[in-house]
Amino acid sequence: MAVNSLREYLDLLDTTGWLRSFDQPVSWDLEASAATMLANIRDGPVPVFESIAGIETESKLVGDPYRGPQTRPWDHFAQALGFPSGLSGCTYYDRVIARLNRTKAPRTVASHRAPCKETVRTGTEVDLLSFPWPYIHEGDGGRYSNHHTIVAPDPDTEWGTWSSHRMMIHDSSQASLLLLAGEQVPNRYYYDYEPRGEPMPVAVVIGAEPTVESTADMWIPTGRSEAAFAGGLKNAPVDLVQCETNDLYVPATAELVLEGHVRPDDRLDEGPFGDYFGYMNGPRRSMPVFEVDAITHRHEPRLPFCVEGSGVGYGQNSTSTLRLVAAGPDATVGLRAAGFDVAMAVPWRFTSRTVWVIATDRPYPGYLHELANFIFTTWGMLHIDFFVFVDAAVDPLDPRAVLTAIALEADPDADFHQFGVERMPKVPLNIYQTPDEKGSADVGTSKAKTAKAYIDATTDGDATDTTATAETRKRAQERLVEAGLDAARFDRLDEREGKSQ
Amino acid sequence: MIPFTQYVRGLAGDDDLVRLDGPFEVPVDVLAAEALRASGPALRFQRPTGIDLVSGVFSGPDQTQHREARPWSRLALGLGLEPDATLVDLLETISTLGPTGGNPEPTYAGQAASGTDIDVQDLQLPQGETDMWPAVTLGVASVSTADGTHWAPVHGSVVGGDTLRVRVPDALSSLVADGTTMTIALGVPPAAITTAYLLAVTEQTTTPIQSCGVTGTVPLVPTNGGLVPSATEVVIETTVVDRQPDFRSDRREGWEYVVASGPLSLSVESVRATDTPVIPISPVGRPLADDIQLTGLATAATLYHRVNNYWGISPVEWVMLPAEAELGICFVASDVLYGGFEWQLANILFSFSSLFDTVVIVDEDVPPQDFGRVLADVWLKSHPARDWTFSEPDAPAATRPHYRTDNETGSRLYVNAAWDPRWKETYIAPRVTFQNSFPGNVRDVARALWDESDTGPEDTTESGASR
Repeated sequence: MAVNSLREYLDLLDTTGWLRSFDQPVSWDLEASAATMLANIRDGPVPVFESIAGIETESKLVGDPYRGPQTRPWDHFAQALGFPSGLSGCTYYDRVIARLNRTKAPRTVASHRAPCKETVRTGTEVDLLSFPWPYIHEGDGGRYSNHHTIVAPDPDTEWGTWSSHRMMIHDSSQASLLLLAGEQVPNRYYYDYEPRGEPMPVAVVIGAEPTVESTADMWIPTGRSEAAFAGGLKNAPVDLVQCETNDLYVPATAELVLEGHVRPDDRLDEGPFGDYFGYMNGPRRSMPVFEVDAITHRHEPRLPFCVEGSGVGYGQNSTSTLRLVAAGPDATVGLRAAGFDVAMAVPWRFTSRTVWVIATDRPYPGYLHELANFIFTTWGMLHIDFFVFVDAAVDPLDPRAVLTAIALEADPDADFHQFGVERMPKVPLNIYQTPDEKGSADVGTSKAKTAKAYIDATTDGDATDTTATAETRKRAQERLVEAGLDAARFDRLDEREGKSQ
Repeated sequence: MIPFTQYVRGLAGDDDLVRLDGPFEVPVDVLAAEALRASGPALRFQRPTGIDLVSGVFSGPDQTQHREARPWSRLALGLGLEPDATLVDLLETISTLGPTGGNPEPTYAGQAASGTDIDVQDLQLPQGETDMWPAVTLGVASVSTADGTHWAPVHGSVVGGDTLRVRVPDALSSLVADGTTMTIALGVPPAAITTAYLLAVTEQTTTPIQSCGVTGTVPLVPTNGGLVPSATEVVIETTVVDRQPDFRSDRREGWEYVVASGPLSLSVESVRATDTPVIPISPVGRPLADDIQLTGLATAATLYHRVNNYWGISPVEWVMLPAEAELGICFVASDVLYGGFEWQLANILFSFSSLFDTVVIVDEDVPPQDFGRVLADVWLKSHPARDWTFSEPDAPAATRPHYRTDNETGSRLYVNAAWDPRWKETYIAPRVTFQNSFPGNVRDVARALWDESDTGPEDTTESGASR
C-alpha cells in the first residue's frame, strides 16, 4: 500500500536505513544545505534536521527526501508506492504507467480531519519568517522554498492545477515566485489574471505526500487534474481540504500550506539561484509577488528542501529523482495517449531537465520529426533542449546503452536535426546564453530565442546484440549472482511483466 | 614488468577478481560479457584441465556511475602504476612502450611455458553460442624479419587440432609469406599486449620491438616466430600456410576497426604452456569488452601525445575514447586557447584517427574520472544551434559507427561544451559544488555532522562513490 504522507515516507526510509536524524542544532543558513549536498553527492542517507539553530521553531528541515540511490534511483519511490523491492527500472516504469492509466478522483475531507490544519494562522498571526527557510547556496539571492507544490485556479478542473516554481522569501508575508511564461500557472497569471488586474489565488503546499509531490513536474493535459493522477499513482484517492481564505483545495496530509495570492502589476527581485543544471543562474530578475494570507500546518512541520544543482552529473537530488521516477512514466503515458507508440520516455540521468531519451519504433517515415515537433511544442518547449531517440529494444534507463546508440547509430550527416534555429523560446535558466541574450523580458522567457535538437540514434535495421539469447544471458546472470556478484547489477533477473525484453 | 599470472593474482588480492568453478553450462564468453555489462569484477574460470581462462582483466567498470575504480584501473596496475593513477598517468605510460627513437637494451630470460604435451584444442578456448569454432582473443602475434621482431594483436579461431585461422593487421601480413613461422602468445604481460595494440593503432606494426620501450621492460625469449615475453602463459608456434584463406569473423576485436586486417591460415607446430596456464579472453563484440578498452586506451594515448606536441604547447588535459561509447566518440578536455581553437582541435583529432566522426570538447577543469560531469556538460554548456558544428558533407565515414558502411561521404560533428574564451568573465556561471557553494566553516560543520554519524556517507571524494 502506498504511503499517505511525507511522514509515513520518512518512516519508510528510516526502516531501510536511508534516513539520518540530527538532534544537534544545525543552521538554516547554508549548514543544512551543505550537509544535504554531501549526502547527495556521496549517496548517503536522507538527513532530517530536528533542531534548527538561530530560530525558535518547532519546524524541522528535511534535505532532498526523494533522492534515490545513485545506482537505482527508483528504489525509494517504488517503496513509497507500495511496490516490492528489487524491481528493475523497466518493470518499475511498467507498474507506474499502469497506475497512471487508472486515475482516481480525489476526495474532500473536513478541516477538522485534515492534519495540515492542526495549526491555523491568519491575519496578523501570519509570519513567514517564523519558519526556517533554508539559505541553500552561497550567492543565492535569498532564502528559498523550492520543494513544494503550487495550487492555482483552473477553470477546467474542480481541483485546480498543480505545479512547482521556486519561491524566494522577502519578509513576513511576501515572496517572489519564479513564473516563466509558457507553463500553465504562469500563463494563467500573465495572460489572464494580471491583464484583468485581479490577484490570482494560490496555495503553496510544502511537504505534501509523495504522489502529490511527484505530479508537480508532470505535464498533465489541460482539463485533467493532477489530483486524479496522484490518486492513480497512489492507487487510492488523495485527500483534499479547502483553504481557509480562498476556494482552492490542498492535500490534507501536507506539512505546511501557505495560502495567498499573486498580486497583479507588482514585482519583487528574484534570484540568482543555483538551479537544476548545476550552475548559478543569474542575473537577479523581477518576478511576481506572492502575498501570504494564511498559514496552516501540522504540529512540528517537516519542511523539505532541495539542494538544486547537486542533481547533475553523478549526483542525485529530489527533483532529478522525481523526474526519473514520475515525470518519465507520465511522459510515456502522454505520448502514447497522443498516438505515439513509444516504449519509454526517460530523462537523461546526468541532466534530467535538459535531455530526454525516448525508446521507440519508427512506424513510418517522418515519425521522429512528428514526435519531436509534438514534444517541443508542448511539455518540452521551455526547458528541454535535446531529445535522443533510440530503438524500442534499447533500455533508456541504461546510460551506457544510450551512449553506445548515439556513438554508433547517429550519423552526423543525417541524424542530428535542429529545430527552429534561433526561433524557439527558452527559459533564462540556461548557461549557454549570455546575460544580454537572456535579458529581462516581462514574462520570464529569454529575450533571445534559441534552437532545439533531436538525435536519431535508432538503427536502420536490427543491430541489437544477438550473440546470446535472452535465456542464456539470464542463466549467466544467475550463475554470476551465485558466485557472489550483486543481483541488483543485472537486468534480466526481474522478468518484465507482460512483455518479453 | 608484471607477468600475467602475477597480475591476475594481484587482481584477486584486490578483490577485483571472482573465481568460478567449472563445469560451465553457460558459455564462458556469455558469462564474461554479462560480468562486464554489469561493471563487475574480472572472472577466473577454474577448470579441471588446469588450464584456466580469465576475462575482464583489461577492462573495468563503466563510468556511467561513480565508482571507486576506473575503467583503466586494472590495466594501470598491470603496467606497474599505483592504484590511484590518473588517466593521463596511464596514457603517458602507454606511450613509453612504443617506438623510442633508440634501441633499448633487451633482457632475455628462460621461457616459462615449457610443457609440450597438449595441442591447441586442449586449451578449450571459449566458443560462443553462435560461434562455429573456439575463439582466440587477446593474442599477440610475433614474427621475425631482418629488422627484428614485430608484434601485432591477433584474433581468430581454432578450426582443428593443428590449424588456426586468424586475422592480423595487414602490415604484419605484409611481412610474412607462405612458410613463414609465426608465434602466437597468449597470456603475455600487460605491457606486451598493450604494446601490440599501440603499434597496431599507430600503424607502426612494421617497427621492430627492439626499437620500442617495451623491450627495456619486458624480458624476452626467442621462439621460432620471433621474440615473445619470457613470462608468456601459452606459446603457439605456427607456420603460415595460406595468406588468403576464405575466413571471415562476424565479430571484430577493437583494433580491427582502426587498421586494415586480413586473414591467415596457420599450421600449429607446437603448443607450449606453463604448468598451470592462465589465458585471457575477451567477449568480442559485447559492451565494454577487453579488446575495446585496450584499443580505446592505446588510441587515446596516441592522440594525447600528438595533440600536445603539435602547437608548441600542451593545451590538452586528457583524451578519452570511452568503451561506453564503443570508441565512436572522442572526448577531449582542453584549454580553449582562443576563439576557433576548438575547431582546430576537433579537426586535428579527425585527422589523426578514423575511428570516430564525433568529437566532444569540454573545459580543461573537467577531470576524466568525473565522466558524469562530461555527460552533463555536453548538453548544458553547448548552445543547441551554435555549438554543434557540422562539417561539409564530404568527409569519409568513420570506421567504428554502423552507418554509412558503403563508403558514402558525410558530415563530421564537433560539440563545443567548453566556455567561449571570448566571453567576459562575468558571463561564466559558477558551478554549484560543495567547494563553491559553501564557505570553509560551513563545509567543516557539514563534514563533522556526517563524520559523527554511524550511517553517514563515506568521506571519499566530492563526487562520491556508489554504494
